[in-house]
Amino acid sequence: MSTYEGSEDDAFEPYPAHHDAGFEGDEEPTRLVVPPAAELKDLIRHWRKGRATRNLWEAFSDAYIAVIAALMIGGALVNVVIRAQRVVSECTSVSCLSARTVLPWAALVLSVALALAVSRLFGPVLASAAEGFWLLDTPVNRPRLLGPRLMAALVIAVVVGALVGAAIAALTGGSGLVIVVWSIATALAATSAVSCAAAQQGAERHRLTQAATYLFGVLGVVALVVVIGIASDWFSLPITAGADAEIGFGVIAVSTVLLVVSLVLAVRRLGSIRRTRLTSGGALVRGISGAFFALDFGLARDIVVERRAVAVGSVKPRRGKGLGRQALVWREWQRLLRFPQPLFMLAVTLVVPYACDALGMSTLSPVVAALALFGATIPLLGGLRVLTRTGGLQRCLPFTLSQLKISAITVPAALVAVWAVLTVPAYLGFGDGAAEHTVDEALLMAIATAAAGLLGAIRWVQAKGPDFSAPMISTPSGAFPPGLMTNVFRGFDLCLIGTAPMLFGFSPLWSLAICAIAALILLNSMDAEAIRARQVEQQRELERAKRQREAAASAAKQKKR
Amino acid sequence: MAKRTTVLKVSGLKRAFGSHTIFDKFSLEVRAGEAIALTGRNGAGKSTLLRCLVGADRPDDGTIEVLGTAMSEASPEIRRNVATVIDDLDFFPDLSVVEHLDLLARAHGHDDPDAMVDEVLDEVQLVPQSGQLPGTLSSGQRRRLALATAFVRPRKLLIMDEPEQRLDTEGVAWLSQRLQAERQSGLAIVFASHEPSLVESVATRVVRLGEPS
Repeated sequence: MSTYEGSEDDAFEPYPAHHDAGFEGDEEPTRLVVPPAAELKDLIRHWRKGRATRNLWEAFSDAYIAVIAALMIGGALVNVVIRAQRVVSECTSVSCLSARTVLPWAALVLSVALALAVSRLFGPVLASAAEGFWLLDTPVNRPRLLGPRLMAALVIAVVVGALVGAAIAALTGGSGLVIVVWSIATALAATSAVSCAAAQQGAERHRLTQAATYLFGVLGVVALVVVIGIASDWFSLPITAGADAEIGFGVIAVSTVLLVVSLVLAVRRLGSIRRTRLTSGGALVRGISGAFFALDFGLARDIVVERRAVAVGSVKPRRGKGLGRQALVWREWQRLLRFPQPLFMLAVTLVVPYACDALGMSTLSPVVAALALFGATIPLLGGLRVLTRTGGLQRCLPFTLSQLKISAITVPAALVAVWAVLTVPAYLGFGDGAAEHTVDEALLMAIATAAAGLLGAIRWVQAKGPDFSAPMISTPSGAFPPGLMTNVFRGFDLCLIGTAPMLFGFSPLWSLAICAIAALILLNSMDAEAIRARQVEQQRELERAKRQREAAASAAKQKKR
Repeated sequence: MAKRTTVLKVSGLKRAFGSHTIFDKFSLEVRAGEAIALTGRNGAGKSTLLRCLVGADRPDDGTIEVLGTAMSEASPEIRRNVATVIDDLDFFPDLSVVEHLDLLARAHGHDDPDAMVDEVLDEVQLVPQSGQLPGTLSSGQRRRLALATAFVRPRKLLIMDEPEQRLDTEGVAWLSQRLQAERQSGLAIVFASHEPSLVESVATRVVRLGEPS
């Protein structure tokens, strides 16, 4: 008997044909009829709907603060784009204008690289573990079941691509036509990248997707270098606004053809994707979404890193070097050489301060460069993350927490120092309308920017997940564990505070002073948990001493009597 | 016969979660060459006690001293002397099995880390997995790696929570022999176990938790 309990007026028939299929007696068993995928999905949707305790409007009413906050942030972002357009429109020289024209190209190429990387990580076609167990194990029509999943991935690519394309074209002061053309071009290019990855997934291959990811990543960096080169008058690229739009139309045409061909292949191959491949993507999404619900971004990254390591499986072991803390530092270096992709990311961020300067946005350069460096440094700090997320490994090593932290960041800090030196020319000022600084000032600015980015990453990496066992904080949206909301801004806050003095035209020495204080706090042996524990311990000691004093006083009184 | 050094001294230890007291006024003294087995039903407080002993959890009252030094998880001296195998051991996702052991041996300043690592790796039968990354190991292999991390480094006190977990029969027999040898060489051991054969062969004293003393 089915466990389905619908209401009486419900016309939904969950098991149309095989409901009476029994094998009793000598009766010929009824032939099992496979229910269509759409019907199974309707059934699941029906169950889920039946369990909902609130409708969409009620959910929005409860989360009104989040909705208002989203509207305010959206409004602020639009304002930033409009103001940036005004600033950029002041750059009128041929070189500056040409350089700005190339920026949407870079955004398009990098969007394709990102779409390919994310597609390879998640599938792009995926299924949850429950679907894998309950649905994919049946003779259900898999292409029908998985088709909407593929479409969802494509829709996400379209939306994100269009937003990125439009934002970059708008930020660089493009005309309405240019904004629309590059928005469509970026959307279609990203979508065709996802579609190609899906076609590869269906053929159980991934090397082409992997190679294309690296190729487009490199092309994106080349495009950014071209932007700097043109803006600095190293070479010229005479492109008119009309030609720019024509190039955009060309990209749209090529992307459309690629999308159609790859989509046909992907849909044809949907039925041949292995269940384990589908559910592993689903498991990853579930893990990451769980971490995101708790706003524990460190955990989300840990899940991705672990998955990549499992995909690699085994490595050629390398002998360590040195004793004591030297051994730790040496291992950090070896780990980096084993998986050198973060070095590539770090190298890419070198172009950011140059690009800002070349495009006449030198005031924003420290903030933007620190944020870019922050993002690129997080993957370099994998060792620090592992050493600080639980106490297990710390206990195995005979060093203080501070010594462990310093050992783990020695290699990344050295690389960031090199980054700082290589970005000094960007602060000397070489683009049109760029602010010029003395060598001393430029050096201090580069160091302060690098320090803010590195310390922001250290703060982000050391973040602990919210403590749900601690007393909750009451908010209009319900009870929140302490630290839940601050986790969102963790790391970014330090990048902004560290570079704020330079943004407002103060000496970079102020930034360095802020960074020095932050470093003292972040690299000591006490985390917030240890400080709380020490306070509790001190309180307990005080109470113990008080009890002893009281006992001694009462004994003395009794003696007197 | 010379009196053996007191390695671990626990006095009046108390741990409670809200109104539920796990243990109270728990005292224990472990000398070099002694092995204490903690036994008791599930939820008796064995793991909580061990977590307090290694500094992963803080007792509500009482003191813990290791070789005369007050227990502090942050103290490098304590970390140098106390090897632990409890469930919170973490691994670097991109370091292989052998590299983890090499790192620990070197961090502790072992004068011949390569030989030590090879020996322990062979003992825990992880030689074929030496190049594997931890994420690809089975739960039994991870347990063996966790045990290996305790044997690859210098130690005066060894604290383990159900070390026999996820080991096959041969593995338990090996562990039993290894712990006996460790105890005879002067190591102090405190371990919680549900395996009668391990308790019988290794422990010099058995402390049963969760029963009125």
